Amino acid sequence: MAKVKTHFEESDVLIVGGGMAGTGATFEARHWGKDLKIICVEKANIDRSGAVAQGLYAINCYMGMQWNENQPEDHVRYARNDLMGMVREDLGYDMARHVDSTVHMFDEWGLPMMKNEKTGRYLREGKWQIMIHGESYKPIVAEAAKKSADKIYNRIMITHLLMDDKKENRIGGAVGFNMRTGDYHVFRAKTVIVAAGGASHIFKPRAVGEGMGRTWYAPWSNGSAYALPIAVGAKMTQMENRIVLCRFKDGYGPVGAYFLHLKTYTQNANGENYEKKWYDHTKNLVGEYIDHHPTPTCLRNHAFIQEVMAGGGPIHMVTTEAFQDPHLETVGWENFLGMTVGQAVVWASQNIDPKYTNPELTTSEPYVMGSHATCSGAWVSGPEDLSPPEYFGVITEC
Amino acid sequence: MSTFVYMTRCDGCGHCVDICPSDIMHIDETIRRAVNIEPNFCWECYSCVKACPNHAIDVRGYADFAPMGHSVRVRREEEKGTISWKIKFRNGNEKNFVSPITTKPWGKFIPKLAEEASPDQGEINSQRLYTEPNGLNIDGDLPTISKDTFKKGVYY
Amino acid sequence: MITNNPFSGLSEIISPIAMQGFAIAMIALVAIGTLIDIIHKKNVKYFFDNAKKAKKSAKIHLSTRQRTSVILKTVAHDIATTAELGRGKRRVAHVLGMYGTIIFWVTSVLLIFSFPTAGSSTPSSLTIMWHVGAIMTCLGGFWFWLFLRVDVLAEAHPWYRIIKADLFVLALLACATFGLAWSYTQFSGVIELSYLFLVLYITSNLVLFGGVYWSKFAHMFYKPGAAIQKNLAEADGSRDNLPPLADAPKQFGLGIKREQPKHY
Repeated sequence: MAKVKTHFEESDVLIVGGGMAGTGATFEARHWGKDLKIICVEKANIDRSGAVAQGLYAINCYMGMQWNENQPEDHVRYARNDLMGMVREDLGYDMARHVDSTVHMFDEWGLPMMKNEKTGRYLREGKWQIMIHGESYKPIVAEAAKKSADKIYNRIMITHLLMDDKKENRIGGAVGFNMRTGDYHVFRAKTVIVAAGGASHIFKPRAVGEGMGRTWYAPWSNGSAYALPIAVGAKMTQMENRIVLCRFKDGYGPVGAYFLHLKTYTQNANGENYEKKWYDHTKNLVGEYIDHHPTPTCLRNHAFIQEVMAGGGPIHMVTTEAFQDPHLETVGWENFLGMTVGQAVVWASQNIDPKYTNPELTTSEPYVMGSHATCSGAWVSGPEDLSPPEYFGVITEC
Repeated sequence: MSTFVYMTRCDGCGHCVDICPSDIMHIDETIRRAVNIEPNFCWECYSCVKACPNHAIDVRGYADFAPMGHSVRVRREEEKGTISWKIKFRNGNEKNFVSPITTKPWGKFIPKLAEEASPDQGEINSQRLYTEPNGLNIDGDLPTISKDTFKKGVYY
Repeated sequence: MITNNPFSGLSEIISPIAMQGFAIAMIALVAIGTLIDIIHKKNVKYFFDNAKKAKKSAKIHLSTRQRTSVILKTVAHDIATTAELGRGKRRVAHVLGMYGTIIFWVTSVLLIFSFPTAGSSTPSSLTIMWHVGAIMTCLGGFWFWLFLRVDVLAEAHPWYRIIKADLFVLALLACATFGLAWSYTQFSGVIELSYLFLVLYITSNLVLFGGVYWSKFAHMFYKPGAAIQKNLAEADGSRDNLPPLADAPKQFGLGIKREQPKHY
């Protein structure tokens, strides 16, 4: 058996994880540290790694400040409403105020953005999302990281963060294994960004044979972004939070464009709009939040689950009306092909053509997620101009 | 079964092994061609399918819920900036789609930041990100707001 | 040395009839091994079943003349230049090794059947080609085996790791290498060594041709068949259910595909 070698590497900035967040952070870090040594370490290959492997067909949050469509404070209200108060408004505001410039940059780089023919603006689906042809979203952003990093380490799985043994409570780097050679890699760094992805398979998915792989979030996301900080004692927040998604059955294809752009709607086995039935039940549970507009997503999913448990299932998405329009039919299919090809595979295998058959919906198993309208993960201080002053201690040494 | 390899088409180039985000495409030891070693960890992301220069990889839906006889095949053409799909239903119906995957030559309009001017200390101390505030396309600076406007949420 | 006919030197201890019988036996082993492989894997059966199924989605019906034209073009281009390997070292190495092997085998048969005792009156073009074929096989084969094998390149296995898939190429390289060593030592008069290399050469041939059922040997029959089927499917529009090429200009260059598959 070949002997395992140990490799050492030093850097100023170490970015753990080369997904959308990690590659983006690599690029941004280079702007602020032209002369710094910046390293990104990824367990797969940054060209397709992470949850955006197959692409995305929408950017879920774009303000459109340049056209006065939304302001960051509007988004804060929306997020607070959708998560029923379990938010940090300072972080929500910070994310919202930056997102526009990032989207404009992606447009500049070559990401195909769908445009509204009449207004020339980015085509919206609903109030917050814009639609893109994002099959190559990940390769485009990965290219930015390749141009920025001193070195990209692919196929190295980081397993532990290292603490600095001279300074208390200070990160020193990370260690991991090369998935090809089996060698051990030690990375010493002055600062570490952990962008190592959320967690699938914490709960058993609905399909448990080969279908274990058809999870809503990628099966290779094994929660490193939680595990790595937890193991070194980082303060986590809201880790009891779970997200359950309502998606097309078996394939877990997204419903966003369907609801918001194609204007499809749900109905139970009797052809009824069942959500209203559960108003009183939900009001007893959460009070005023059921009266807010738009109805918080989790409450709509709750009504879905209640309806199914009461015997009103199977619940279908009525697509036969919208799909008669050839443009909407194309959007409906391409939405999957650039985001969740597995859904197209499911429909092709079961002869489901949404033009003639209303496909079935189901709720997914729960996920622990630090994005996508959930709010769990490592605690962060936030930006100084927005966040509580007590989060920013006096820096006595660097 | 998710992705599978047509052995007559595979020539052992290794592109699928190199790209798979799940690390499940590997080389069979008897015939030195690609094989999916763990179909139940395949997300059907089609990265390997798109990467294969000989179109030797195809997808069959998961045995849990997908009867055989369907076909969803793809042709990703980087030089043309297009992706073409052909969907064949089990009953023989067919759908075809072509979409753009880029509007610009790959990488050409992504700047090499090391060659651009360094930000000054004022910039570094600010809350702006790269391209801001101009990149926001608004009048004025990066939006900010008084901390008092935030309602208390999940604080410690 | 490369005008030496090693078989005529050999004919002093082994009769030409025995040599010729051995050559025929090797050819028979290839046929038997391939036949058993086909029966066991049922690959030819599936191949024709799939071709029949694919015909149903053919957009146009090809005439015999069109089919013949496609087949001839496939042989002349795809097969003759191993086009499926695309641009790069693997294709060069394979073409080198492929033609080297063909030349080596054909000249071996010609020497054994037409000039087994001719000695120095064997046409020098023949003996030169025998050696050149072996050298080309070694060049292409060792280049491939040491540097280009995908399990070494893309999966980072050490070059000395031997798997079942290596049976064909290693046996072939052994034949070519030991054949050259045998010819050289025989020509130089180093008799004991030349007998050693002769034994190794014979053994390598037995392993190479006897191992057809277990090795990748038969790919040289299957791959041409697959190439012909692929081009016929392209010509009649069925295209193995693949979408057609997009009707758009090539203006964006290469993205992911510009790099070698070796990111680790």
